[in-house]
Amino acid sequence: MKTNNKPLYYILFVAIFAILLPAAYLSGLLSINTISIWGRYFCFAIAALGIDLIWGYTGILSMCQAFFFCLGSYGIAMHLVLQKTSLPDFMAWNKITELPFFWQPFHNAGVTFALCLIIPALFAFFIGYVLFRSRIRGVYMAIITQALTLAMWLLFLRNETNLGGTNGLTDFKTLLGFDLSSAQVKLSLYLVSFAVLCLAYIACHRITRSKFGKVLQAIRDSESRVSFTAYKTANFKLAVFVLAALLAAVGGMLYLPQTGIITPGRMDVKASVEMVMWVALGGRGNLKGAVIGALLVNFLYSLCTSWFPDSWLFILGFLFVLTVLYFDKGLIGLVATVRQRIPGLHFKTSQTTNRYVADSK
Amino acid sequence: MKCSMFKSFSLLLLGAAVSFSSCQQGASKSGTTDSTATASKETVKIGVLHSLSGTMAISEVSLKDAVQMAVDEINAKGGVLGKQIEPVIVDPASDWDLFAEKAKELLIDKKVSAVFGCWTSVSRKSVLPVFEQNNGLLFYPVQYEGEECSNSVIYTGATPNQQLIPAAEYLMSEKGGGYKKFYLLGTDYVFPRTANKILKAYLLSKGIPKENIVEEYTPFHHQDYQTIISKIKRFAADGKACILSTINGDSNVPFYKEFANQGLSAATCPIMAFSVAEDELRSMDTEFLVGHLAAWNYFQSNDLPENKKFVEDFKAFCAKKGLPGGDKRVTDDPICWAYTGVYLWAKAAEKAGSFEVSKVRNALYSLEFDSPDGLVKMDPRNHHLAKPVVIGEIKPDGQFDIIWKSAGLVDPQPWSPLTSPDKDCDWVNHNGTYAKK
Amino acid sequence: MRHFLRPGWILLFLLCSLRGRSQDSASIYVNQILQPSADSVRTNAIHRLVALRDPSTFPLLMAINDKKLYLLDNKAVTTDSKPSGDGNYRLYTVYPTYQLLQNSSGQPLLLPPGKLTAVDIPRADRLALVGIAPLLNLFSNDVQKRMLAYSQVGNLQDQSTLQLVAAAVNRETDENVQRIGREALYAARLYAAKDETNAKVYIDSIALNWSDNAATLLTSYSKEKAFSPAAGSYALAKASRLEKKYDNLQRIQNLFSGLSLGSILILIALGLSIVYGLAGIINMAHGEFMMIGAYTTYCMQLVFGHQAGDWFYVAALPLSFISAGIMGLILERLVIRHLYSKPLESLLATWGISLILVQTARLIFGDLTAVKTPQLLAGGWQVAPHLTLPYNRIFIIVLTLVMVLLTYLMLFKTKLGLQIRAVTQNRQMSACLGVETRQVAALTFFIGSGLAGLAGCAITLIGNVVPDMGQTYIVDSFLVVVTGGVGKLAGTIVSGLGIGFFTKISEAFFQAVYGKVFILLFIMLFMQYKPKGLFPDKGRIAEE
Repeated sequence: MKTNNKPLYYILFVAIFAILLPAAYLSGLLSINTISIWGRYFCFAIAALGIDLIWGYTGILSMCQAFFFCLGSYGIAMHLVLQKTSLPDFMAWNKITELPFFWQPFHNAGVTFALCLIIPALFAFFIGYVLFRSRIRGVYMAIITQALTLAMWLLFLRNETNLGGTNGLTDFKTLLGFDLSSAQVKLSLYLVSFAVLCLAYIACHRITRSKFGKVLQAIRDSESRVSFTAYKTANFKLAVFVLAALLAAVGGMLYLPQTGIITPGRMDVKASVEMVMWVALGGRGNLKGAVIGALLVNFLYSLCTSWFPDSWLFILGFLFVLTVLYFDKGLIGLVATVRQRIPGLHFKTSQTTNRYVADSK
Repeated sequence: MKCSMFKSFSLLLLGAAVSFSSCQQGASKSGTTDSTATASKETVKIGVLHSLSGTMAISEVSLKDAVQMAVDEINAKGGVLGKQIEPVIVDPASDWDLFAEKAKELLIDKKVSAVFGCWTSVSRKSVLPVFEQNNGLLFYPVQYEGEECSNSVIYTGATPNQQLIPAAEYLMSEKGGGYKKFYLLGTDYVFPRTANKILKAYLLSKGIPKENIVEEYTPFHHQDYQTIISKIKRFAADGKACILSTINGDSNVPFYKEFANQGLSAATCPIMAFSVAEDELRSMDTEFLVGHLAAWNYFQSNDLPENKKFVEDFKAFCAKKGLPGGDKRVTDDPICWAYTGVYLWAKAAEKAGSFEVSKVRNALYSLEFDSPDGLVKMDPRNHHLAKPVVIGEIKPDGQFDIIWKSAGLVDPQPWSPLTSPDKDCDWVNHNGTYAKK
Repeated sequence: MRHFLRPGWILLFLLCSLRGRSQDSASIYVNQILQPSADSVRTNAIHRLVALRDPSTFPLLMAINDKKLYLLDNKAVTTDSKPSGDGNYRLYTVYPTYQLLQNSSGQPLLLPPGKLTAVDIPRADRLALVGIAPLLNLFSNDVQKRMLAYSQVGNLQDQSTLQLVAAAVNRETDENVQRIGREALYAARLYAAKDETNAKVYIDSIALNWSDNAATLLTSYSKEKAFSPAAGSYALAKASRLEKKYDNLQRIQNLFSGLSLGSILILIALGLSIVYGLAGIINMAHGEFMMIGAYTTYCMQLVFGHQAGDWFYVAALPLSFISAGIMGLILERLVIRHLYSKPLESLLATWGISLILVQTARLIFGDLTAVKTPQLLAGGWQVAPHLTLPYNRIFIIVLTLVMVLLTYLMLFKTKLGLQIRAVTQNRQMSACLGVETRQVAALTFFIGSGLAGLAGCAITLIGNVVPDMGQTYIVDSFLVVVTGGVGKLAGTIVSGLGIGFFTKISEAFFQAVYGKVFILLFIMLFMQYKPKGLFPDKGRIAEE
């Protein structure tokens, strides 16, 4: 992908978020609340990397990433609830006296972390296996995964599912013995999220440049031709689908302790489309685009809901429409275009990057 | 090459981050000067945390208006402790995660003295840890499921015993129709679930046999009530059945329409609703609802002079501020309690001589206030409000005909003695919820 | 003379009072109620009337009970429970006879309630009527109340009550109410029956009469009140047979519900399917065109006002089609034409559009609103004693049928349809052959959006009108399109009906939510065998 990779800008990015922001907090310029908010954005960015892998690089529009994100969150949340009490209060209210079997493993932190990854991976494997085997792709894939998220959302909303229903899980006290309300813990969670984001970025970057990644992009550009050359495309797609689910779950796992609540609202239709939007807006088929899109959209969302309560939906809506219409490579693509138009800023642009062939139906 | 592109984005992002934090910082700084240097700037901040967009906006915007009106009234009378109240309004956009984020913003960055907000129980649960960790005070104006007794929340809405039990009692009484069979129908979330649990326990304790109580839930935004209505029709064939409905929001219209179209009516099988108030009926077609019942603590048709003034003031306020609906706006139970909440807070602050949360909270115990609904009184031991219970019949104009009123105030019971007989809530002699001997 | 006459007068008076004492005293009490000298007099009068149980005073008591007693030219009158158009009510005299008041030309006299003086009876006095209310309601002019009254009259072994009930049943005009009344009488006789043959006769009569409550009644009789085990088991057998019959009807009702849900889905998915087939657009804003149609209907109701009756709906039907269609056309020109054959991009852009449209609607209309159901479509068609099919749902089914037919004719019998099918199959080739593809696409979008608008207009009959109403249906309607095979009329119909029936049948066994989850899993499995839907394209066009 990248031929002339200048590490300076990565260092700048890391410096801002790993050093400047925490420093600003420690010197009292920023409140811990702001730090926490950015920590949450990083979690979204991690999930966005997964979406970029599966959509931007493989051309499969999966609308169930929000569901995987929630699976990760719910897993951690169950563990945190069990740290506090032996029987969650909502169960006591529903006259359930014994902890349901699927809650039992979440007593143990290690098992919880493992399950938070294994369960989404298994789900992704099963869904992917069924869908890719029958060669469902394109729009069908998008709609079926969306319907699946909807079904899961409905299930999670039920009180009988024993996951807290609409209210979800909330009111956590400690994680691995650390007090979640203390500023130090919040700061460390922020830093951990950032570190994981960087690691995930590097990993995804490697993947896209590996042979595996090249096959994925080939599948995106023409799946039939790839399969004619004796690649089992379904297996590749399945692998990247599971990978994307894992990234979403990791994002979800880190998201929970910083937000303090997880509800099925995180995976409703709106939420699942919005997740895809982050990537579209940032520039898909480009990992940096995914990260920037996720950070920017969520930042705008926080800002606009405070500043323009009436019109933030307009802003968001127009942003989506304009992105798709005029810069379908996202902001990253827009910057590249602007750079080409303005001679003073014009550097050499590698033509090979970011080429995206629209997948037709 | 891509990196230079990346640079500009990093810069952009940095700029945004700095501007965001600086604006927050600026706000929080002014907040601190407010609370420390009282003489220089005579204002005290309160937070208003109601959704102004998204699905809950329909209900919550009116509460924001009510709070605003109470603030304006108090300010016009000279404010609290000589300070003008300055409301900080944010929009949590019906997004439960955002509720927690905005609550943090209000408490940590804006340093407000009290917050007035939330409607759904999930939003309350979402902000609860934030308020407890940061020693905030939330005035919550909506009827709720009980089984909660936080030190940081002042519950001005009804507890289950202030709404559900009297309604069921009324329907069982000879005057109310002497109904013997009960269909408990609700939207599937925590309030209906808990409400029905309590109702069921109550009905069983009154000797209603188990097979005469049916419980059913539908998902949010459910639109198709054909199957359920035909079940009800069969259930109600002997004319001894009524429905206790905790159906929420936009599912109500399809429900009532289907009910009427399949040949049922208030005469054959009345629906007692716990979540339908004047504000929801305002622009709805009430044709199908006329004659059905609702139980609340307050109705706009209450003919106390205080209430008449309140209703007129509210209409005038909405018209003057150019709010949607103008003088066609109506008041209802949550609006009344959102409004009352601000006054309770102001009165408590005056009594305590301070805006400090712990002092205000202590001053609130046993505090009395002449609300639009008549004299109401805070519980002496916890953060709930004792108030009257009323049952009304829906009229074609979307108002209620009050057909039953409790004798005096009904004391709140956050823990229903029917479902949790061993629990009670007391913040004076105990540390919140405690086990009764 | 005087001397002679005096005892005669007294005698006459005595005779009269013996024969019609209740009549006379009733009229005195009635006067005391209408023009009381003191509150206590009125209270006493009401209590006396209640004790008298004279049917001729029932209309008056009923009017008091319903708070509908008025004075008109010093005559006591009451009104219908509902206005007979224009907010005017028909009037009835209440005592001594219950009659419709007519004006000089023989037409019913219509007056608004404002022109009448209400006789204010305090609530405490009205409460005195609670005990007698069911008996009063036997003679009410409200069908619902009469229906209810029979279950509340109390002990029919009391002769005077029984006579009143029998009288009421005899003068009953409504079939359903009569059925209930007869049942009450049969039941009373059944309970009183002391020998097998008599009991069986009444059990048979109850079963034959077959009211909603018959099975419950017979079961409870067999358990509690049967005087012999044989009569009990006979009643039980009859009851279970009735239950079976009822279950069968329930099945028909379920099928109808499925048909109705299916036709709503078809109506929404029809436009979606055509647009997707032709332009390769996943229109996430389709639900919002539906919302526009619904709001158009709502606006029509406002424009026409309450006087116009059902005409607003007649006007709304074409207008909702046109307004949603025009909106669709504008969007097609501005946004969507840039996205042809880019399905995934179109998904995102139309999602953005849907956000904008929802928020616009919220800013303009704000609250929860609902459209009045036209009078013609209120209520239901009673097919069998226990099978009511609501008119509004029948209307939607018929509308769907008509629209499907029109769409079929449009697609297969017109030139435009030919062009649409050509462009759907191969855009470039059609363009080469001289088809104005852009025009065709725009027209298709107009029709597709219009169909959504019409669906919105239809949905106001059963649901409410809220800004995000479209999002409730959008995923479901996409599922219909995908299951049916994209762009296939027949596929849309079959899958819409299939999903509708399946949902309703599963709802009969599970709770509503699980029904929905079940459907989604089923569709996923179904796609294993038919990954391109029910009616996939065959041959070379099936290739990418």
